[in-house]
Amino acid sequence: MKKILAVFLAVSMLLGLTVTALAEDTVALLVWVGDDADQAWINGVIDNFKAANPTTTFDIKVGIQSESTAKATVLTDITAAADVFTFADDQLGELVNAGALQPVSLNVEDVIARNVGGSVAASTVDGTLYAYPATADNGYFMFYNKEYFTEEDVMSMDAMLAKAAAAGKKVSMEMSGGWYMYSSFAGAGLTMRLLPDGVNNECNWNATDTPIKGVDVAQAMLDIAGNSGFVNQGDGEFVTGVKDGTVIAGINGVWNANTASEAWGDNYAATKLPTYTAAGQQVQMASFAGYKLVGVNAYSANVGWAMIFADFMTNEQSQVSRFALRGQGPSNIAAGESPEVQASPAIVALAEQNPYATTQRVGGNYWGPAASFGAIIYGGNADGTDLQTLLDNMVAGITAPVQ
Amino acid sequence: MQSQQTTPNHGKKHAIVRVGQALISFFAQFFRDLRDGDLWVRLSLVVFGAGYFRRGQIVKGILVTALQAFVFIFYPIALWPYVSKFGTLGTVKRAAVFNPVTLKNEVNDFDHSFMILLFGLVGILVIAAVVLFWIKNIHAVRGLQITDENNRKILQEMEKLEQLARQNGADAQELHRKMQVLKANTKRINRFSDDICNLFNRKFHITLLTLPSLGVMLFTILPLLVMICVAFTNYDQTHMVPTNLFTWVGLNNFKTLFTQSQTITFGYSFGRVLSWTLIWAFFATFTNFIFGILLAMFINNRKTHWKRMWRTLFIITIAVPQFVSLLLVRNFFANTGIVNTIFASVGITDFLKQIGLLSQSYAYIPFLTDPVWAKVMIILINMWIGIPYMMLIATGILMNIPSDILESARIDGANAFQSFRKITMPYILFVTAPYLVTSITANINNFNVIYLLTNDVFVTKDQLLANSNAQEVDLLVTWLYRLTQNYYNYKMASVIGIVIFIISAVFTVLAFRILIRGDREERFQ
Amino acid sequence: MKLFRLTIRHLVLAFLVLFWLIPIIWLVATSFSADTGPNIRSFFPTELSLNNYRTLLFGMDDVARFPSWFRNTFIIATFTCIISSLFVLMVAYAMSCMRFKARKGLITFASTLSLFPGFLAMIAVYFIMKSIGLTNSNIGLILVYSGSSGLGYLIAKGFFDTVPSSMREAAYIEGASEFKVFVKIVLPLSKPIIVYTVIAAFLMPWMDFIFANIMLNSGLSENKTVAIGLYAMVDKVRINSYFGQFCAGGVLVSIPISILFIIMQKFYVEGITGGSVKG
Repeated sequence: MKKILAVFLAVSMLLGLTVTALAEDTVALLVWVGDDADQAWINGVIDNFKAANPTTTFDIKVGIQSESTAKATVLTDITAAADVFTFADDQLGELVNAGALQPVSLNVEDVIARNVGGSVAASTVDGTLYAYPATADNGYFMFYNKEYFTEEDVMSMDAMLAKAAAAGKKVSMEMSGGWYMYSSFAGAGLTMRLLPDGVNNECNWNATDTPIKGVDVAQAMLDIAGNSGFVNQGDGEFVTGVKDGTVIAGINGVWNANTASEAWGDNYAATKLPTYTAAGQQVQMASFAGYKLVGVNAYSANVGWAMIFADFMTNEQSQVSRFALRGQGPSNIAAGESPEVQASPAIVALAEQNPYATTQRVGGNYWGPAASFGAIIYGGNADGTDLQTLLDNMVAGITAPVQ
Repeated sequence: MQSQQTTPNHGKKHAIVRVGQALISFFAQFFRDLRDGDLWVRLSLVVFGAGYFRRGQIVKGILVTALQAFVFIFYPIALWPYVSKFGTLGTVKRAAVFNPVTLKNEVNDFDHSFMILLFGLVGILVIAAVVLFWIKNIHAVRGLQITDENNRKILQEMEKLEQLARQNGADAQELHRKMQVLKANTKRINRFSDDICNLFNRKFHITLLTLPSLGVMLFTILPLLVMICVAFTNYDQTHMVPTNLFTWVGLNNFKTLFTQSQTITFGYSFGRVLSWTLIWAFFATFTNFIFGILLAMFINNRKTHWKRMWRTLFIITIAVPQFVSLLLVRNFFANTGIVNTIFASVGITDFLKQIGLLSQSYAYIPFLTDPVWAKVMIILINMWIGIPYMMLIATGILMNIPSDILESARIDGANAFQSFRKITMPYILFVTAPYLVTSITANINNFNVIYLLTNDVFVTKDQLLANSNAQEVDLLVTWLYRLTQNYYNYKMASVIGIVIFIISAVFTVLAFRILIRGDREERFQ
Repeated sequence: MKLFRLTIRHLVLAFLVLFWLIPIIWLVATSFSADTGPNIRSFFPTELSLNNYRTLLFGMDDVARFPSWFRNTFIIATFTCIISSLFVLMVAYAMSCMRFKARKGLITFASTLSLFPGFLAMIAVYFIMKSIGLTNSNIGLILVYSGSSGLGYLIAKGFFDTVPSSMREAAYIEGASEFKVFVKIVLPLSKPIIVYTVIAAFLMPWMDFIFANIMLNSGLSENKTVAIGLYAMVDKVRINSYFGQFCAGGVLVSIPISILFIIMQKFYVEGITGGSVKG
């Protein structure tokens, strides 16, 4: 009896030890990518990563979480969010304030050195790097169908609208959305950006003492909205419009480049944003520079390995393979200089637009009031409200303290 | 019951006074029990099961003492840390330092405000429950003591009687009869098996209600209490847990709800959203009600053939899950959707422009994006979903109308409209009155229809509404949902939730007093 | 003349039915469309194909994992149905047929609780579930759906109220315990309301997406329920590639639910109007 007991104890001790040993070695990570199409790419990256770290056992699961809504899911419950997730750079501020992002603590200098300056700036808050830059092409530019427009036409919005109206087609832009609306105001020299507190905004879009006043921009927007060659559409409708030929040019982003090139074939072209007329002058439209960043969850149980993985996921090799599979412009300097990348019209257009592009740093109170203003303008200001009042209301909402 | 017929004021006063009196007598009884109780009763103050052991209820004594031990051990370990911080909701903020050697973050022992709130509440509730149990336990033990002493007295009397009878040689039958009378006055002290039996008989309601009540406690009452507490804190986007802490702010949020300035527009939005909520609840309920009844009558009419088939076809529209049909309809009526395309090609859009219902700048009909159009469409689409439901209910009621009344009316010469007005309609109203009241309350909280139809599609053109994240078509619930999901403004959402409750409660109480319901269960049984 | 009015009457009904069913017809039609986005040019799709059904059921697309959603929702619905029905019937019997001190108070309390909007408690329920570790799991959802189901006892209680007390009293006299009366007398008489309760409880998890959305936040598609999965397909970003599959999923989900619903409506009407013990 005693012997059996002894054997039993020994065996269970051994089992216990092996189990704990195994448990210690296996690193479990949950990774979120933005789209189903990214699955193929990320699985390749995971295989390479495991090969590069053969001494450790990994259990890496992949989930889908759209980059534009990553913040919402993460902030609902940070401790339940993925260890590594991709997000659009405009969400950085709120994620940092909520303490969701782990400051990059391993290999910082290399990450900074190997990525384009704008992308690093977009990942930095108060001098600390909080995320790994992944793509540098999340901004917007102008697509057009060469069949209808010459290279001269696309320099100016008025020319484009005239040509479109004459042909009975449309130029599309989501003017009523805060993201695109920024281009008109910022191009005219007005500012809207995050305050140093990282939460609230400062905005002078209703200014009356600048060279181009707020009301001038608003009036210009009204004129464009009323033009029969213009249509205000969201992403989905833009795709439909391009596919069935009613839209021959549009301000959109690289995620729809494939749709446009399939629909227009050889006539597909892309360039920087045009100029528009405000207060009698030609004003170059500005834009938001957009980057996709990879963040590490500060509450992750394996935060060190998560950082190593995120680093690997955004290194030159991974970004090159991502471009090859998904056509997304890399933020890695070396990857960006490859001939394939340079040949993509979208990337070239983004590069042309870059001098006029600002990093997207906005507080949460920007979007609602901006969308409302845009909807009124696009509706033709049916109530006939004084433009200055509209602007004042919008700025009041944008600069209101976040609650 | 008398109180149901009295005027509202008298009824309320009685209720409050009654509750107060009940509380006072509850505590008075506790002190009386202690004063009159013996050593074992007083011992039960410390060891809960003592009184049971003395009176022979061993199993019950063990159970009660074990429960006491469990709570007294469990509480300080698991709950006291949270309850102690309840007043401040935490003071230690999270600080993490990355250790490159272990590849992990080293975190301090930080406070999680929400967990403190949640488990602190649990702790307070547990204390309240334990105190209640403690008091009731003393009463039960005292009751046992009285019964036991009573029984002993009667036994002594019976012995005395026997002795007397033997001494005096009295009649055996007479003795037997007197003994029976005395014995009948003894009360049995239950054995454990008796208690179990009772649970399936006289006390069956306890067995029936335990598990469901636990479920309701855990999944409805506790969360509600937590969220009501949140309304008095500053839990919002700038105080997100677990990284930040939030704390009590008293009635500040309620003040904000009624403020109206250019930057804080909650007061403005609240007024607008509230009025639309009430208008919507009224219209949604009554349009469905009237048209549902009319449709039911139409189908139920003697002259209609294939009644079942017609009814089944209508049911199919509500059998498709609401989220499918509503999302579908949202696309159906989209600005570039199929209805707009058809209308534009047929010329209806231009027609509407000509008669001025549609402003010139639109190339399509903004079914779900213009405030006025959207409100009308929402009510119409809600009718589409709700009328088949109402038709079902009305059909059942119509079939239950005693047919002899209708027959005699017809014989007496009343036409269809008259019999409808004087017989059918009052009967239906009588039967469905409670249903209507609950229906209005349910529509005040009807989230699905509004959210699924306008989310992602509707942008408000009212800038003051936009500044507090509201929309013209919002109900209070959808506003609440957006505040929690998109803006993490939990505190304002909780305040709005409380307000919704107050409105619904006032409305329901008023409506039911007007309807004057008697105690209907006995009438049927 | 009579024939004319009869025809008019039925034509009106037919027109109404058609009008009511138009979106449903569109749903079925679009589910067979070859175009993956919503067809906005014409009511009926220009090209028909079974692609949507094929990808939905057999494609291993991460956005559309219909079989696992269906399985998840089915498991959740079954268990919710069992627990919910038990709770509802138990509470209804206690409130209707038994008399005890706290009865009226509990009834008032229960109706007060139901006046609070449900989502208010959502975030708190999420944290409670999280502290037990049951988010992102079928068990968690089952508990959330069936936990407070006891509050929905009103309709069943209304039905039990119509069971004549004489029957129960006769059983008491014969010495039956309350438990026996419940199981052997009242329940067998209440078949309509049992069927209604069971089916209503079964249907609930298929239709809910608010609670499921909060509880299932891991992003892993195989954990989702049908409601969440389908809802994710029609957000602005995905709608052009997934609308056809959404319609196909909608049709697949609607068929069993419609059947159940049609069975249920018979009993629902009897329940609401207080009973058919005569039959």
